Amino acid sequence: MATTPAPRDIPRDAVIVGGNRIPFSRAGKKYVRASNQDMFTAALEGLVARFGLQGERLGEVVGGAVLKHSRDFNLIRECVLGSSLSAQTPAYDLQQACATGLEAAIAVTNKIRLGQIESAVAGGTDTVSDAPIAVGEKLRLALLAANHAKTTGARVQSFLTLRPKDLAPASPSTSEPRTGLSMGEHQAITTAKWGVSREAQDEVAFNSHRNLAAAWDSGFFDDLVTPFKGLTRDDNLRADTSLEKLATLKPVFGTRLPEPATMTAGNSTPLTDGASAVLFASREWAAERDLPVLARFVDAETAAVDFVHGHEGLLMAPVHAVPRLLGRNGLTLEDIDFFEIHEAFASTVLTTLAAWEDKEYCRTELGLDEAFGTVDRSRLNVNGSSLAAGHPFAATGGRIIATAAKLVAAKAAETGRPARALISVCAAGGLGATALIESA
Amino acid sequence: MTQRTGPGTPASYAVVDLPGLPGLGSLYAKGAAGSLTKRPGTGAITLPTVAYRVTGIATGDTATSAHLDAYCRVVGEPSSDVLPAGFLHVLAFPLATAVMVRGDFPLPLLGMVHLRNHVRVTRPVRVGDTLEVRAWAEDVRPHRRGVQVDLVAEVSVEGPDGPGLAWRGVSTYLAKGFRAPAAAGTAAEPAASESRDDWSPPLPTGRWSLGGGTGRAYGAVSGDRNPIHLSALSAKAFGFPRAIAHGMYTSARALAEVGPARRGETYEWTVEFFKPVLLPGTVDVAIRRDGGRPGPGGGYVYDGWRSGKGTRHFTGTVAPLA
Repeated sequence: MATTPAPRDIPRDAVIVGGNRIPFSRAGKKYVRASNQDMFTAALEGLVARFGLQGERLGEVVGGAVLKHSRDFNLIRECVLGSSLSAQTPAYDLQQACATGLEAAIAVTNKIRLGQIESAVAGGTDTVSDAPIAVGEKLRLALLAANHAKTTGARVQSFLTLRPKDLAPASPSTSEPRTGLSMGEHQAITTAKWGVSREAQDEVAFNSHRNLAAAWDSGFFDDLVTPFKGLTRDDNLRADTSLEKLATLKPVFGTRLPEPATMTAGNSTPLTDGASAVLFASREWAAERDLPVLARFVDAETAAVDFVHGHEGLLMAPVHAVPRLLGRNGLTLEDIDFFEIHEAFASTVLTTLAAWEDKEYCRTELGLDEAFGTVDRSRLNVNGSSLAAGHPFAATGGRIIATAAKLVAAKAAETGRPARALISVCAAGGLGATALIESA
Repeated sequence: MTQRTGPGTPASYAVVDLPGLPGLGSLYAKGAAGSLTKRPGTGAITLPTVAYRVTGIATGDTATSAHLDAYCRVVGEPSSDVLPAGFLHVLAFPLATAVMVRGDFPLPLLGMVHLRNHVRVTRPVRVGDTLEVRAWAEDVRPHRRGVQVDLVAEVSVEGPDGPGLAWRGVSTYLAKGFRAPAAAGTAAEPAASESRDDWSPPLPTGRWSLGGGTGRAYGAVSGDRNPIHLSALSAKAFGFPRAIAHGMYTSARALAEVGPARRGETYEWTVEFFKPVLLPGTVDVAIRRDGGRPGPGGGYVYDGWRSGKGTRHFTGTVAPLA
C-alpha cells in the first residue's frame, strides 16, 4: 500500500481575516489600460486600507499572473513596493494557471501553520486586455542567434532567413501546448463523453448570474470589493439574463465533434481582467490587531490528470483531488455546507458532479468502493461564480476564498454550529487545486 | 519473389557499396526522367536484386547535430542525443530512393503512392554512433489499384564486432495501373484496408493547425522536396488542388507526441495513409493508449482526420518492444 497523506498534529491554525478584489471586467473594456501590476496593487491597497495594515511588515505576499510579461519577473514584490505595506514585506510570484490564487493561499497558510510566518496575503491578477505579445518563433530564434553572434557579419546572417510573415507577433493562446486544443475544445470533448445537455449547462449559467446579482444587491460584496477605474460591479454580470436568452446563443466549442455542440458564450466563462487578494494570519496575530477571523483554512489537496492522450478530461483534476481531501479529513460531501466549484464552463461543474455520482468511474478512476456522492445543488455556488463574475485566471482563487470564508462565518453565526466550504478550481495542464475551509 | 519477414538483406541480392548517401535533388531529377519510360506493360515485374550499402556514416559532427535539432523542432521531438526513428527514416530515405531510380527498377518514382510504413527500432542510435545504411526493394505484389512494393532500409551501428542492426524500415508504395506477376500469389490487400470506408472518427485528443509552409519545413529537414509538398502551384502540376503534407511528417509528429518516455528506447512505429492532408489545413488527431489505462509498457494507436469532417488521413501505432 502506497503511503498517502494523513492528518497530522498541525502546530496551529491559519485563519482567513478577509479578502478584497477589484470588480472583474470583461477583456477590452474598463481595464484596457490597466496592467497586472496596477490591478494587483489596487486589490492589495484595498485590503491594506480595510484592515489598517499601512506600514505593517507582513510575513509574505504571494501571488501571480498566468499571462505575464518577462519583465514582470517580480510582479508581486513590485506590487508590495507600490503599496503602503512596509517595504520590508517579502513577496514571491507563483503560477499554476487558473489555480494560481488558490495555490498561493495553500503556500502561505502552510507557512503560517508551521509557525514560519504570522501573516500573509495570497492572491493573483490577470489581464487579457494588457497581455504580453511575443515575437514569432523564427524571429525569436534569429534574435537569439544574433545576440549570440560574435561578428557583425554573423549577426546580419541571422536575419537573412527571415520572411516578412516571420515578423508577425505571437499572441498568447489558451491552447494546451501538447494538444493544440483550446480549453473550450477540451471541455467540449469531456462534455460529449459525459453527455451533459445544453439545458443543464444553461441552467448553471443562469443560476450563476442570478445568484451573483442577488449577492451584489444584498451588499454581500460591500466589504469584499474596492471600485477600480470607475467600475463598482463585475461588468460581465447580467442580472436580466434568462434561460430563454441563453438558449438562443450559438455553440462556440465542440462544433467539429460528431456529437451535438452545446457550449456557448453564455455557458462558458469570458476572458476577463481583474485581481484579488486575501489576508491570512495566525489567530494570535489577528487578535493582537483586533482583526476579525472569518474562517480557518483547514486543508488542501492538488491533483493532476493524464489528459494528453484523452484518458481523462483536461479540467477533471479536482474530481480526483476532492475525495482524497475529504477522505483525509473524515468528511463526505454531505458534511459540506457550501460548494464553491469554479465555473470555467458550466459543463465543468456538471461533469464534476456527474463523475462523483458515477459508481463505475469512482471505482476505476478514483479508487473508491462506491460512487463518491451527490452534491446538494442548493449549496452550490450560492453567491454566483465565474460564469457571472468572469474569470481573470489567477484572481479567481482569491475571489472564491473570500466569498467562501464569509459564507461559512455567516452560516456559523446563524446556526451556532461549525460550517464548512469546499473550494475546487480546475486549471490548464490537467491541474486542479481544492481546499477545505471551516468557520473559525 | 522474395518473401521474408526477418531482418537482413536477402541472400540472393548483390550488395553494392556507394561512397556516401546520395543527394535527393539529383535523384528526383533522374527519377522524373526515368518515370517517363516506366509504363505498365504485359510482362512480369522484376525487381533489381541489388542492395545499396553506405558505411562509415558519422553522426557526431556539427552538421548532423544541427540537422537533428532542425528535424526535432519541425516534428516536435524533444531535443535529445538519441536519434528518433523518423530521423533515421530521413537518413535512409535517399538510399531507398536511389534504388527506385535505377534503370532496372520497373516502377516509376513519380506518381508512386506511399501506402504504409513499418519501422522497428531494436536498439537506440545515439549521436556519435557510426552507421551503416542499406536499402533494397522486395516483395512486389498485387494491389486493388496496381502493384505494391516494399522498399526496405536498415540502419546498423558499427562496432568492434561488426554492424549491429538498430533500425529497420519498410515503406510500401503503390504503382497505379501496373499488374503484378501472377506468381506472387499473395492477397491483394490486407483486410483492414478493405473496410476503410466504414470508419468514423473517435473523439479527438489533439488538433494540428498546419500552415501553408508545413511541406516546405519538413522538406527542408527531410530533403524530400517533392513538388507536391512545396506549394499549391507546384502541387497543381501533379493533380493536387493544394500542396499536401508529407505523410511521414504526420506520422513522425504522432511518434513525437507519444514521446520518448512512453515509447521507450526500442519500439515499433507503423502508419497507414489514406487521403492526403491538404495545406494549409487542420487535422484532428486521436493519440491514445491501445485499449487500456495509461502507464508504462503499453502501445499507442493514433488516427488523423480532417477537422470537422470524417475524411481519414492516417492511422498508426507506436508500441514499445518488450
